[in-house]
Amino acid sequence: MPSSTRSATGMRRASIGDAQRGSEAGQAMNCPAAQFPVIRLQANSGWPGANLAELWRQRELLGFFIWRDVKVRYKQTLLGIAWALLQPLATISVFSVVFGRLAHLDSEGAPYPAFCLAGLLPWMLFASGLTAAAQSLVGNVNLITKVYFPRLLLPVSSVLSALLDFAVSLALALVLLAWYRILPGARLLLLPLPLALVLLTGAGAGCWLAALNARYRDVRHALPFLMQLWMYATPVVYSLQLVPPTWRPWAALNPLVAAVEMFRYILLRTPAPSAGILLVSTAVALGLSLSGIWFFRITERTIADTI
Amino acid sequence: MSQTILRIEQLGKRYRCTRNARRHATLRDWVSGMVGCGTRGATPAASDAAAAANELWALHDVSLEVAAGEVCGILGHNGSGKSTLLKILARITEPTTGHAVVHGRIGALLEIGTGFHMELSGRENIYLSGAILGMRRAEIRRRFDAIVAMSGVAEFLELPVKRYSSGMYLRLAFAVAAHLETDLLLLDEVLAVGDSEFQQSCQQKIRELAHAGRAILLVSHDLATVRALCNRAVLLDRGQLVANGPLSDVIPGDRAA
Repeated sequence: MPSSTRSATGMRRASIGDAQRGSEAGQAMNCPAAQFPVIRLQANSGWPGANLAELWRQRELLGFFIWRDVKVRYKQTLLGIAWALLQPLATISVFSVVFGRLAHLDSEGAPYPAFCLAGLLPWMLFASGLTAAAQSLVGNVNLITKVYFPRLLLPVSSVLSALLDFAVSLALALVLLAWYRILPGARLLLLPLPLALVLLTGAGAGCWLAALNARYRDVRHALPFLMQLWMYATPVVYSLQLVPPTWRPWAALNPLVAAVEMFRYILLRTPAPSAGILLVSTAVALGLSLSGIWFFRITERTIADTI
Repeated sequence: MSQTILRIEQLGKRYRCTRNARRHATLRDWVSGMVGCGTRGATPAASDAAAAANELWALHDVSLEVAAGEVCGILGHNGSGKSTLLKILARITEPTTGHAVVHGRIGALLEIGTGFHMELSGRENIYLSGAILGMRRAEIRRRFDAIVAMSGVAEFLELPVKRYSSGMYLRLAFAVAAHLETDLLLLDEVLAVGDSEFQQSCQQKIRELAHAGRAILLVSHDLATVRALCNRAVLLDRGQLVANGPLSDVIPGDRAA
């Protein structure tokens, strides 16, 4: 028995050595798994980075997580993906009555439903991505305590999987705009910019909340409240023009402000947001995601023990 | 001799359970702890003593080498540190002291069905679970037919896994995991589930993997399983490695209960 084991091992080593000679000549050939790095497991301390190289190696798994989230979201529902149409439709109907008809909020010359939908598109993408990301660690406890993979993939895939619903809602918005004879035209090519801002903010805040949620389940109770406050701090139902000019730079500390203003500029041809607003919002979004990754990576070290 | 796949040197893992749990159980406690620090709670010296008392070394000063082709059993009572050792090696948690070096890929099978999603079909779960366990998409595609053949659920591949019988589920989940091409394989009580036929096929597969040159660490309470599969074993007791060698030297049944 031991001798046969040894000879089988020897054969395997030889075959891998052959494979290596073919691909990377001149490497050590006595190692049974030279194509994979030697892994050293020990206590880590100090400032963690995002480990982009490993995230890139695991991009297939990121794709699988997104695919799983998308596949499972509308399983065993009657209406399926139609929910991605119904939710914004129902929301703009209510908002149009309350804020458009009853409160007569200014909509910068556009029809109020179109104005509201242009703001809801980035907001709903952000809100659904952030909510899913905040639950992503706690909801995958059975994976986190049983198998290793870069934990960052969980909040990131949650945010990215919200893009499917967004695409459906965007199609709805374009139809509604065409109904109002508003054609965005070539400005649509600018859409990736505010989209990136929304995803960056969602991933940054998502990392913070996911890691906090793993330590303190209070997050689950605070989240609906936080989202409601954040929505009213964002010019979704109202116009930024209603905000006094002296307050506007402060409003831009919320990166969603620049994103919503960009969306309205692209879809409704309202005036573009000022460079100051864009700069402040982008800086905050970057700061939020870098600090989020840092906090997430620190939490990640002990997460299997505390979650 | 065979190539060393795993080298563990003076590995230790400390848990500080109760103190942290009491102080930071919720955000509210944390905030009130910040606000009310000094007015309530113990003096610094007393809290240091309390911290030491609440420390638990789940694993202490464990050193071990495992070579390719070896199936090493890990024995010990509940709470002896077996699972903690596997969790460190599986990179689920970090050690507090010491280090381990692994030459090659690590595959961890700490439960049957890791990464399975009940709503997805058998076919989808083969890909999802395979990817989560560490396989690349191309690898899974290449082994797909072999996985299906081994699982014996070919007719039900398009059915959601939640409709599977528990036997079908176990067989499919193990078939995916058995096709994991890693140099070090960690198995935690996997064989304790399923009927005897399932356990037999698992054991057969584990022998094949060892013959193919994998290093395997196997945690099991079942001495018969350990005798049938392992060519050596270690015994853990309260976090310390107390025996290491051939089965006859290590199995406590041969020395004490």
